[in-house]
Amino acid sequence: MKIDGSHDVPAPRQKVWEAFLDPEVLRQAIPGCEKLEAIGNDEYKATMKVGVGAVKGTFEGKVSILDKQPPDSYRLAVEGTGGPGFVRGNTLITLSDIPGGTRVTYAADVQVGGLIAGVGQRMLGGVSKMMADKFFSRMGELLQETA
Amino acid sequence: MKPASFEYVRPASLADALEALHQHGDDAKVLAGGQSLVPMMNFRLARPAVLVDLNALPELAYIRAAGDGLTLGAMTRQRQIEKSPVVRERSPLLAEATPLIGHLPIRTRGTIGGSLVHADPAAEYPVVMVALEAEFTVARKEGTRRVAAADFFQTYLSTAIAADEILTDVHVPGLPPGAGSAFLEISRRHGDFALVAAAAAVEVDPSGRIVSSRIALGGVGPTPVRARPAETMLAGQQPTPALLRAAAATVMDQTDPPDDIHASAEYRREMSAVFTRRALTAALAKLDIRV
Repeated sequence: MKIDGSHDVPAPRQKVWEAFLDPEVLRQAIPGCEKLEAIGNDEYKATMKVGVGAVKGTFEGKVSILDKQPPDSYRLAVEGTGGPGFVRGNTLITLSDIPGGTRVTYAADVQVGGLIAGVGQRMLGGVSKMMADKFFSRMGELLQETA
Repeated sequence: MKPASFEYVRPASLADALEALHQHGDDAKVLAGGQSLVPMMNFRLARPAVLVDLNALPELAYIRAAGDGLTLGAMTRQRQIEKSPVVRERSPLLAEATPLIGHLPIRTRGTIGGSLVHADPAAEYPVVMVALEAEFTVARKEGTRRVAAADFFQTYLSTAIAADEILTDVHVPGLPPGAGSAFLEISRRHGDFALVAAAAAVEVDPSGRIVSSRIALGGVGPTPVRARPAETMLAGQQPTPALLRAAAATVMDQTDPPDDIHASAEYRREMSAVFTRRALTAALAKLDIRV
């Protein structure tokens, strides 16, 4: 499943770049993220509680930051498993200058498997997109708060 | 599979039910007809710690004429709505949509309130309520509030209802005299969730001109979509095939349908226009206007 989109953040590119690599900022912005612990260089252990309506699940997994090209782009690789199934995703995040801020473009390739994929198939794409939107708008807010 | 273990509460009054939710908050789920919640629990996708069963509250199951429309208790079974002469007379659109929900055994247990609060993006009732501009009474321990259908559905499986609230009554306004309505949907198999669902109500003056219309779509985004641009295009016009086609085409810009194994996003978008046009045509046909 491919998900892509872009969000404009009212902050300079260097600042956005730093925020998008800051585990504390990421933890606050990733929907349902309860824990993000460093386990290596640019590798983190994550615990996420994700839910839509009555469907709720806790995912444990790993987040890695790859192919860093500061301050232009990097890849965010996520893999997690939980009661409802597993999620694997690889997202290319690209930053570019726009008047008054930075455009963050993302192109993700997401695989969801297990029970949730079978039962929730109809809504999976939409919900994933919604989570991505939440993440990026929260990142925008966090950047403004620290601006 | 069997559900994860949970505590079961069967309150004997609405006040007790609200008290239970007040106590348990996010850990509790309300059980109405159980046609979506129980399968989700059996799959263990939903693992509520406490289940608050409303099935011992007969006061929440009723169908009443109110003003030019209807008020329905949230625990009214879909099958009761399907069979009700009052519903057929006062809200033909609601009557027409009901038999399209799942299958007979599902409608025998499933409730109108359960379907609305579950808020499946392709379910029939949310689309009907948005088209008819229904209002919902929502109760909590401290009192009640009314929420318009347009504000109720927030995203996939999510509504304006808080964890300590219960949907108690559904207020469905009537349509003006001289209005016709229709509900159509497309699904691969009978009883499946709709790939696309369309509800249309059209009010026509004695000369056959469209006074106003209401169009809502399901299955094309996270919540039902009200097709305002199409409604604006139709207002004051004499219905012709070209007009209906042009108005229906505007819905394609409003929809963001999912792409899955059942149908591509492109197909769903195309069908949203086709079914809008067909629903409008069918609504007008109820007024003996053949377009």
